[in-house]
Amino acid sequence: MRRNPWATLLTTASLWLSGSGFLAAQAPPPYTRTLETYTVPDVVLVNQDGAKVKLKALLDSGEPVILDFIFGTCTTICPVLSAGYANLQTKLPAGPSKVHLISVSIDPENDTPKVMRDYLKRYRAKPGWDFFTGRREDIDKVMNAFNAYIPNKMSHYPLTLIRDPKTGQWIRIFGMMSSSEFVAECRKAGVL
Amino acid sequence: MSGWRAIPLLSRCLAGAFGFLLLTAPALAAPPATAHPAGTVAGLPEDKALALGERMYRQGLLPSGEPMPSVVNNDVPVAGTAFSCSSCHLRAGLGSWEGGIVTLPTNGARLAIPRYWKFPNLSPEERRELKLQNPAARPAYTDETLAHLLRTGRDPSGYDMHSVMPRYHLSDPDMAILIHYLRNLSARHSPGVVGDTLRFATVIAPGVSEDDQQAMLVPLNNYVARHNQFSAGFGNRMYLGVGGNEMSGAYRKLSLSVWRLTGAPETWEAQLDAFLAKEPAFALLGGLAPGDWKPIHAFCERAQLPCLFPITDLPVVSDTDWYTQYFSKGYYQEGQAAARYLHGLEDPKPARKVLQIIENSLEGKALAQGFRDTWAELGQAAMPEILLPEGKPLALATLADLLAREKPSTVLLWTGASAFPALTALTRGATGAFMSARLLGSQLTSLPELVRTQVWITYPYRDPKLEPKYSLYADTLLGGLMQRHPETRISTRTYALIQILRQALMDMDRHFYRDNLLDRIGMQRDQILPDYLRLSFGPGQRYASKGCFIMQVGPGPSPVLLRKSEWVIH
Repeated sequence: MRRNPWATLLTTASLWLSGSGFLAAQAPPPYTRTLETYTVPDVVLVNQDGAKVKLKALLDSGEPVILDFIFGTCTTICPVLSAGYANLQTKLPAGPSKVHLISVSIDPENDTPKVMRDYLKRYRAKPGWDFFTGRREDIDKVMNAFNAYIPNKMSHYPLTLIRDPKTGQWIRIFGMMSSSEFVAECRKAGVL
Repeated sequence: MSGWRAIPLLSRCLAGAFGFLLLTAPALAAPPATAHPAGTVAGLPEDKALALGERMYRQGLLPSGEPMPSVVNNDVPVAGTAFSCSSCHLRAGLGSWEGGIVTLPTNGARLAIPRYWKFPNLSPEERRELKLQNPAARPAYTDETLAHLLRTGRDPSGYDMHSVMPRYHLSDPDMAILIHYLRNLSARHSPGVVGDTLRFATVIAPGVSEDDQQAMLVPLNNYVARHNQFSAGFGNRMYLGVGGNEMSGAYRKLSLSVWRLTGAPETWEAQLDAFLAKEPAFALLGGLAPGDWKPIHAFCERAQLPCLFPITDLPVVSDTDWYTQYFSKGYYQEGQAAARYLHGLEDPKPARKVLQIIENSLEGKALAQGFRDTWAELGQAAMPEILLPEGKPLALATLADLLAREKPSTVLLWTGASAFPALTALTRGATGAFMSARLLGSQLTSLPELVRTQVWITYPYRDPKLEPKYSLYADTLLGGLMQRHPETRISTRTYALIQILRQALMDMDRHFYRDNLLDRIGMQRDQILPDYLRLSFGPGQRYASKGCFIMQVGPGPSPVLLRKSEWVIH
């Protein structure tokens, strides 16, 4: 049987595009979850109030932590990740939160403490959600440590990292979660 | 309000075919838009509805003033004030591609035509001429199918948008207002697109030397000439085929007019109005004015005319203005750097009491304003300031008296080199001082040797030791064009403007809307170009270089600058 050459071409192109990750780049699949061990770099970052924060001491303190990478003028991913943070905060028990939500800027030049304060205000962030910026070299170290380095902020990807307070391991979630999925992942990790 | 989740190619084709079948199906079950008398939208005059729709699109506020309610990722509620349509689709509505997610165009022109997966930019006429048979991925939107998409995320071909696109819970009248705005958003090309030419202009204010004018005009005119010539030589081959047709539809020749202003700055806006009326321009490129850029900035805001990278160190500093994209905040940014550096020092002594001594000039005042605003933003108490009499250099006795009276731990000397003889007063104590590299200009390295270890310099450019490596290509290109004056950095800044513009024109494609030009620059990746350490962008970011170094002048008769800080950004 003679095959339609256009169909062959189409199939080949489809396979090649899928294999090369081209489609994947445009189409984040439902989120993936892996368990990772990371070494937090010993860097000093700056929070939305201008206060210096020792990241290693903070993250290794044993308190439940969730971390993501965002920037203040991001168009698509960060607003949705941040809506997820804001929504999670509404689901936490009343009183001082045990879970520390951390957003690390990947646009440190623009994300000054004032920009970060305004950003958190827009999302009606409650205490317990901090936005960190810092020297570009230090931000690069943090991104590298979490296997999240991107040279260009416009090509970043949706990543949420939940630290298991018991084991110190990190649950790496690549992709977007619904509210119920986020809560379920937090429960599974023992941070809620 | 849109986004798409890629699916395997075959499924996509099937979805497209399914969408095509749906074209003939009855309208999807969506609440019908409320009928209103002609000339009104949801019972409001059209212009009022347009303004309210713009507020919905840009600020996420309902006509009632309440945040637009929506849901993302299936069950995450979001208020419109957290992020709005323009956060992703951008101001002109042409969408974005960021973080692996494509946000589709939602402007009037694109909503009114079917969408195709292949060669989506071809016009219906071009498709007919090329006899393209591929079916549309979705038909043109009707008001009903658009309302259905905004509410459910499902387009008229049955395709579900990515879950990051908010599903908006809007009443019929509010929906009608938003749709009215979208129908009018980037529906027609902006002024300045005339036939096959994209018209630009550059503004030159009175008092700019002939050398400085040529430092900007020669490379700009050369760029325009090369752009226009290139297409004539290579166009035919390059544009063969369907893809070529799509590309060629985006190509326009460029023209550059020079708008020379005369007289007092108060009269410039009227002159600019007259220029724009006579020669409608798509955008202004560069520009030179010896003083404040404010009148030209104000005109561009009012006329909604982009102005790309005017060569000024006295920009308007604003968090909200839209139309002028600057290289940096200029002198203001150096004052900012002084505040940030002092605040960040481990040793609290230098920041204990800071005295600003300000030359009575626009430059001196901008430096002081940058420090004042940033110091307050950092939560610090206001510091004393002395404004020097106009035209009078700082005298040794004056500085000595001020140091004795105020006892500052640090003095910010926002003056030119005329203050050098007075600096001896610093040597009588341990008071540190800041001075501005821009304000000192070529006199910087003549700083009296006695005080060099006491004076910190705010330096807004790349470390000069490293600059040749980055400017080599620009120097080679510009060197062939003209006799350069590197100290003004006019030709190198023009070179940087051209590089950014070239990319923006490609990214703008055939969507010739002024806001789209600015949106595309906002989406550019960071650029490493001459002069500034890094130029970075983002939607609404209007000052591309955002930091400064703190330097000291080294010893000897031909001193080098010694870097005393990291790139100061916080």
